[in-house]
Amino acid sequence: MTDKKIFPKSLSVLLSIILPGLGQVFQRKYRSGISFFIAFATAFAVTLWYGKPIWFIIPAVIWIWNIWDIVSFPKGKGLVIPLLLWLLMAYGIGGQVTEFNLQALFSNFSRSRDMVSQLFKFDFVQPKAERIEGYTDIQSPCSDFPPAADHEENGVRVYVVQTCANVGDVITVIGEGFWPNQLTTFYWQNPIGGKAMATEATSDANGKVTLEWKVLSIVHTTAPDPTIPQIHRIKVSQSRPIGGMELSAVGGYIVQGIYETLALALLSTIIGAIFAIPFGFLAARNLMTANPVSTVIYMIVRTVLNIVRSIEALIMAIIFVIIVGLGPFPGMIALTVHTVAALGKLYSEVIEGIDPGPIEAIKATGANWLQVARYAVIPQIVPAFTSLTIYRWDINVRSSTIIGFVGGGGIGFFLWQWIVLQDFRAVGSAFVAIAVVVVILDFFSAKIRERLV
Amino acid sequence: MLKVEHLTKVYPGGTVALKDLSFEVSDGEFLVIIGLSGSGKSTLLRCINRLIDPTEGKVILDGIDVTASKGAELRHIRRKIGMIFQHFNLVKRSSVLTNVLNGRLGYLNPWTSTLGFFPADEKKRAMDALKRLSIDDKVDSRADALSGGQQQRVGIARTLMQEPTLILADEPVASLDPVLAHSIMQYLEQLNKEDKVTVICSLHYLDLIQRYATRVIGLKDGVKVFEGSPAEINREKFKEIYGEEAQDVRATALE
Repeated sequence: MTDKKIFPKSLSVLLSIILPGLGQVFQRKYRSGISFFIAFATAFAVTLWYGKPIWFIIPAVIWIWNIWDIVSFPKGKGLVIPLLLWLLMAYGIGGQVTEFNLQALFSNFSRSRDMVSQLFKFDFVQPKAERIEGYTDIQSPCSDFPPAADHEENGVRVYVVQTCANVGDVITVIGEGFWPNQLTTFYWQNPIGGKAMATEATSDANGKVTLEWKVLSIVHTTAPDPTIPQIHRIKVSQSRPIGGMELSAVGGYIVQGIYETLALALLSTIIGAIFAIPFGFLAARNLMTANPVSTVIYMIVRTVLNIVRSIEALIMAIIFVIIVGLGPFPGMIALTVHTVAALGKLYSEVIEGIDPGPIEAIKATGANWLQVARYAVIPQIVPAFTSLTIYRWDINVRSSTIIGFVGGGGIGFFLWQWIVLQDFRAVGSAFVAIAVVVVILDFFSAKIRERLV
Repeated sequence: MLKVEHLTKVYPGGTVALKDLSFEVSDGEFLVIIGLSGSGKSTLLRCINRLIDPTEGKVILDGIDVTASKGAELRHIRRKIGMIFQHFNLVKRSSVLTNVLNGRLGYLNPWTSTLGFFPADEKKRAMDALKRLSIDDKVDSRADALSGGQQQRVGIARTLMQEPTLILADEPVASLDPVLAHSIMQYLEQLNKEDKVTVICSLHYLDLIQRYATRVIGLKDGVKVFEGSPAEINREKFKEIYGEEAQDVRATALE
């Protein structure tokens, strides 16, 4: 009480006006004073950094409240309100910084609907079909003496009546030897192999199909000089189902990608596990802290493992892609390195946890070092090591999917390309394939590990 | 004949576990060591077969200086010294047969045994040992599937494989109930009487001491505070060895 007489309330108020919390400190309410100061200072600093003047209301209110606290809350109970204000500001600014906008989830729904619905039209398999194909080369634009646009192969003849094509011409493409009364696809391939135009016509009862086709300027978009004649190709084809299903092109890529991913994960797990074993022993406290030299090795190995483990496999994959190029190999190296570090740590924990009793007992029978390792140590660590390794394979399958995104091969690589190409049917199919594989793997690895422990 | 001369063990932390301890054990004796937990009983037993290296002093077994031996010589000494543990120290995941065969490792070719080959006659020897302890029906069980008393019998069978001349038993019955304790002690007594194996055993229970021991040594803070026949151990002596506060120990031990 005597202290408060030395620093009268009016002086404390003045001090708090100058610097929030100072008045409280002079009233010996240190915690309250420091809290007010920190609340005000951080609120002020954050508002200053964020730069929207409206938020200066918060530090201002804290400041006023801090004066009010001295005047009418002698026991320092008034801190709750500034704290709530501070939180309000933190959430408010946080929301603005992250451009928090729930409405966006709905306002663009119609635009996304087409894409999302594509995701569920899976593209694994297609009806089995047989094809009949023919083509002819054609010059465009026309030179003075154009070569004949007429080609026959395997009884299928395709020819163009006009011999050559200028932009704007209507050419007559005729195919003979096709199936009768069947939808026929026409496909214009430019000199570099790209698709320029495509259309369809139906063949007549004799298997002859005739198309009047207007040549558009688009056929010359890849030509360095559209006035120089070049050889293009018109492909004519029919296809009809013959019953049964087969893998579609996307389905084939998915199977290849999943296989690549599983193999990549398996290989990096096995190689990683082999390398992790010595590291596991070197990083085991109970084995290595007996003398100073081994203690130093232990500390170095531990530190290195911890550092390597903390680098995401994805980041390592980016580095290795730069070093060795695109494909499954850099992904495998990245996963292997990460596996060594992660398993090394886990193995060392298993070794640290083994029961010293059997080691003592087998040493006491007169067994040598090798026999002690074989009969006292290995039976204790092998089941745990196996279980951890299988679990790691599980993890590696999942992360190799992501590693594919940066060019590390596997299903992830295909997935990333399909996302970029906006082939959402393929993306949806890949999602389903990955989910199925992960679930199956999860189930079996859990079953196996249950038996081991 | 085992001679322990001026044995001292100081652990790296500075704890003195044994202080200038000397005694002799004649062949065929059943020596019981008593004392509080931490009085140095386990350290003493482990210094005899060199699972722990003593700081000073000598252990001489049948004229051979155990403390000076190393490598193959030490392993040859160890294989003649059986050891039985309070927590049995079986390899829990291995079968009972493998655990018993492990007792023979000191005699076997280190390479073939490391690869997991045990000769047929060794397997027969293991079966005989298990039969002797009437636990041969559990031969294929995993060690951790057995009860405490059964595990300790497997531990004794493992020791039998060593054809020991000396058995060190570190509180062999401390984890077992009184009935099982007696049955395990009877097996040890049988080895002592029939096979003429010297036994050094640490115990806490007065009735067991008086029933099985031929001689008793009391340890307190690593110093020998008593040496004599089991008949000489009475309440007063027990209090002396186990300390004034050890009311519970005394009560259970004397009942």
